[in-house]
Amino acid sequence: MPSKITFLNSRSHQDLVSCVGWTTADEVYSCSEDHQILKWNLLTNETTLVVKLPEDIYPLDLHWLPKTVGGKKQNQAEIFVLTSSDGKFHLASKAGRIEKSVEAHKGAVLAGRWNFDGTALVTAGEDGQIKIWSKSGMLRSTLASQGSPVFSVAWGPNSDRIIYTSGRQLVIKPLQPNAKVTQWKAHDGFVMKIDWNSVNDLILSGGEDCKYKVWDSFGRLLFSSSPHDYPITSLAWAPDGEVFSVGSFNMLHLCDKTGWSYAVEKTNTLSIFHLAWSADGTQLAGACSNGHVIFAHVVDQHWQWKNFEITLTKRRSMQVQNVMNDAVDVLEFRDRVIKASFAHGHLVVATSLQCYVYKSNNWNTPLIFDLKEGTVSLILQAQKHFLLVDGAGLYVFSYEGQLISAPKFLGLRVDIINAQGVSLSNDTVAIRDKSDEKVILLFDALTGKPLGDGKPLTHKLEMLEIALDQCGPSAERKIAFIDKNRDLHLAFVRHLSQEPKICKIGSMVHSIAWNDAANILCGIQDSQLTVWYYPSIVFTDKDLIPKTLHLKDGGEFGRTPQILSFVGITVTLRQWDGSLVPSSVPHYPAMLHEYGASARWEDAVQLCRFANSPSLWACLAGMAMANRELNTAEIAYAAIGELPKVQNIKFIKEQPSKESHLARLLLFSGQIQEAEAVHLQAGLIYQAIQVNIDLFNWDRALELAVKHKTHVDTVLAYREKFLQKFGRKENNKRFMHYAEGVEVDWDKIQAKIEVELSKERERDANAKSSSALWR
Amino acid sequence: TAQDLPPSEEGSHLHKRSQPRVLQPDLQQESSDLKDECKEFVNKISQYQKIVEGLIEVKDEMTKEVETEKMKAIGARNLLKTVAKKREAQQQQLQTLIAEKKLQHERYRIEYEALRKVEPEQNEFIDQFVLQK
Repeated sequence: MPSKITFLNSRSHQDLVSCVGWTTADEVYSCSEDHQILKWNLLTNETTLVVKLPEDIYPLDLHWLPKTVGGKKQNQAEIFVLTSSDGKFHLASKAGRIEKSVEAHKGAVLAGRWNFDGTALVTAGEDGQIKIWSKSGMLRSTLASQGSPVFSVAWGPNSDRIIYTSGRQLVIKPLQPNAKVTQWKAHDGFVMKIDWNSVNDLILSGGEDCKYKVWDSFGRLLFSSSPHDYPITSLAWAPDGEVFSVGSFNMLHLCDKTGWSYAVEKTNTLSIFHLAWSADGTQLAGACSNGHVIFAHVVDQHWQWKNFEITLTKRRSMQVQNVMNDAVDVLEFRDRVIKASFAHGHLVVATSLQCYVYKSNNWNTPLIFDLKEGTVSLILQAQKHFLLVDGAGLYVFSYEGQLISAPKFLGLRVDIINAQGVSLSNDTVAIRDKSDEKVILLFDALTGKPLGDGKPLTHKLEMLEIALDQCGPSAERKIAFIDKNRDLHLAFVRHLSQEPKICKIGSMVHSIAWNDAANILCGIQDSQLTVWYYPSIVFTDKDLIPKTLHLKDGGEFGRTPQILSFVGITVTLRQWDGSLVPSSVPHYPAMLHEYGASARWEDAVQLCRFANSPSLWACLAGMAMANRELNTAEIAYAAIGELPKVQNIKFIKEQPSKESHLARLLLFSGQIQEAEAVHLQAGLIYQAIQVNIDLFNWDRALELAVKHKTHVDTVLAYREKFLQKFGRKENNKRFMHYAEGVEVDWDKIQAKIEVELSKERERDANAKSSSALWR
Repeated sequence: TAQDLPPSEEGSHLHKRSQPRVLQPDLQQESSDLKDECKEFVNKISQYQKIVEGLIEVKDEMTKEVETEKMKAIGARNLLKTVAKKREAQQQQLQTLIAEKKLQHERYRIEYEALRKVEPEQNEFIDQFVLQK
C-alpha cells in the first residue's frame, strides 16, 4: 500500500513550516516561521494567504477544534488553536482573525491539543508544565509540572487521560486528581512526538534515538522500529487507527498499526515537522522545513475475495482482476474512495459523497446512493446486507441500497467504533459498549430495535473482540467473544427470558473469525491456528470440544498473527511482519454443516465414513444430538469410541414417554433444571425425583417428594443405600427428621416404581392413540 | 637671462641689460648641463615609473585572474565534496528503499510459500474426492 506524494508548487512559505491542519477533506491550513498562515486547496491546487501574523509570533503548533461538539454536527471546523514561542496560545477563526490570546507558559508553548469532543484544551510548555483550559481559553488546572520541557502531548481515547513526554520517558496522567500515573522509559533519546489513537487505544512515540514505537495503553511495547538515519520529527495516527505515518529527514513512512512498514517515500523536503491526516483518513499533509507542505494519499490498497482481486490504482479508480480468466475491469468513481469492503459477492465502496455497491458478477452497473455524512469509517458486510459507520451513526443498508435500520443507543460514540467492537450477521447487530466493555448491546438488524427484552449480554470481564456467526436460523444466532483473559466464549444471542448461558470454548485466543458459509469458527490459540468445526457443540456435549478441533502448526505464522478473513476453506492471516499467509482447512466440515442444516443425516453419516476422521464424527455426534437425531448420534458416538454415551443414547431411546425422552435429552447436555421442569410439567413426579437421586442431589429430591407427598420413602431408601455404600452416617437434619416416621421397604418401593413406570407407559400410549384418533 | 649673456672681464659679469652677473660663465655652463641632465633623469624616471605602473597593472590583473581561478577551484572542490555527500545521502535513501522492497519481497515470498503449501492439500482432496466417490 504505497502512498503517493504530491507537491503543490504554486506558492510556499519563505521559512520552515511548523504545523499543518485540515479543515475539510480538501483544505489545509499551514503556519510557518515567516509569520504567514497559508490555505492550501487540493481541488484547485491553489494556495492563498489567510493572514500575516504579527512579527513576534512564531507559531509552533496548530489544532482545529474537532467537528462534533456535544453531539451537534458542524460541517466545518471553525476555530483553531495556535501556540507560539512567546508563551501564548491563540484562538483563531477560519478567516485568520485572532479571537483571543492567552498567556499560558513561560517560554514557548510547544503543543496545544483539543480533546476529542472539543470541550477542553491541553497545552504543554517549555517550562515543563501541562495546563488544561476550557474551550473559551480559561485555565482549569495545571495538571503536571516537571523540570524539563514537554515536547508533545496527546489525549486518551475517552478524553479522561493525557500522555506527555518527559525527557526519555512517557507519562500517562488521568485528569482525575490522585489517580494512578503510569510512567515508563520509552526511548534512548528524547521523545519528540507522541500520538494516541482513540479507535485502537494504541500509543505511538518517536524520539531522537531515530526509532518509532507502538505501545498499548498500559505502556507495554508492541513494536519498535529499527533505528533510522535521522531522528523522528513527526508522527500521526490515521483516524481509523489502521495505519500511521512517521516523518523524518527527507523521509516519510506509512506503517500498519502493528508497526510493519507499507511504504517509504523520500521527499527531499528536509525534515518533516508536523503530520496531519484528513478526517476521512485518506490523505496526509506534512509540514516541511524547506517551506513546502507535502500531500500524500494512500493508493494501491488491495481487497481479495474468492477469485477476484481489487486494487485501488488511483484516488478515484479501482482495478478488478478476475484471476480465473484474467479479465480486468476498471471502476471509476466521481469522488475520492474513502473505504471499501469486499465480501459475500458484493463490493461496497464509500466515496466522500456516495456509496457504490457492485455485484461480483457485474462490474458495469453499480448501485449508487448518496451518503448523508461524508466520512465513512467502517464497512461491515453480511450475506444479506451491510453496515456503514460514519460520523453520525450506524446504518444497515441492503445490497439494493435501501436503508434497513439505524441502531441507536444512549452514549453511542461512533468515532471510536472499530471492527473488533461491532459485528453484523443477517439478522443481528452486536456492539460492544465502549463505556462498559463487559456489555454487548444487541440489535435486530432489520428493525434496529434492541433484541428480545432489550437486556444486553453481560459478561463478567471486559471483552476485546466480538463476532456473530453468519449462518443458520436467527433463533440460533450465536456470538463468540474473547475476554480480557483471552478466553473464548460462546453464547446464544436470542435467549428466552432466562439468563444467557455463556460457555467457554477456548483459552489463550487472540483473534477470531467465523466462516462466511458455515458456522465454523477459527482463531489464533496460543499462536497456532485452531478451527472449531462445530463450536455450538458446547451446548450439547462440551466434552467433545477437543475432538472437534482442527489444529494447524503455529510455527509458520510467527508471533501474534491476525485473522483477516475466513472465506470458504481459506483462512487468511496477517503475520506480524505484514505478510499475508493463506491457509486451508478441510472441506468436509462445511459439507457436514450443510447436511446437518438440511437434515440429510444419512448423507452426513456417509460423508463421515468416507472422510474417516474422528473430528468429523465428533461434529456429527454433536449435530445429531442438537437435532435430537438419536440414531445418527448413536452411530457417530460409536465411531469415536464414546461407549458410555452410546449407552446413554440407547437408554434415552428406551424411555417410555415423550416427556421422559425430552428430559433425558436435556440431561444429556447437562441441562438439569430444564429436565426436571419437563418432568414436573408433565406430572411425572417420580421421574423428577429419580433424576435428582441419580445426580445425588438429595435435598432437592427430598424437597420434591415432600412437596408432592409421594415417594418420600424412595428417596430415603436410596439415601440410605448411598450412605451405606460410602460408609458414612446421616448428618443431614432434614433427612434425619423424615427418616424417623418412614419405614424403608425395598420391595414396596420397587413395586411403587414399577407402577409409576407402567402408568407413564400407559399415559403415553393413550396420548398416542388419542392423537391417532385426531388424525 | 644670464646664460644668454657673454661673460665680462675681471670676474664681473654684466647682463646685456647692464645688470651685474653673479655666476662665472663656466659654472653656469655646468649648472646648465646639470639642469639638462636632471631633466633627462626626470624624464627617464617618469618613463621608468610608467613602465613599473604598467607592470603593476599587469600584475594586478594577474592577481585578479588568479584569485578568480582560485575561487573557482575552491568552489569546484567543494562541489565535488558535496556531490560525494549527496551521493552518499542518495545511496542511503536508496538503501532504505531497497531494504523496504526486500521486506515486501519477503512478504510475498512467505505468501507464495503458504500458497504452495495449500496446493498439494487441495490436490490431495480433489484426488480423494474424484477417485473414491
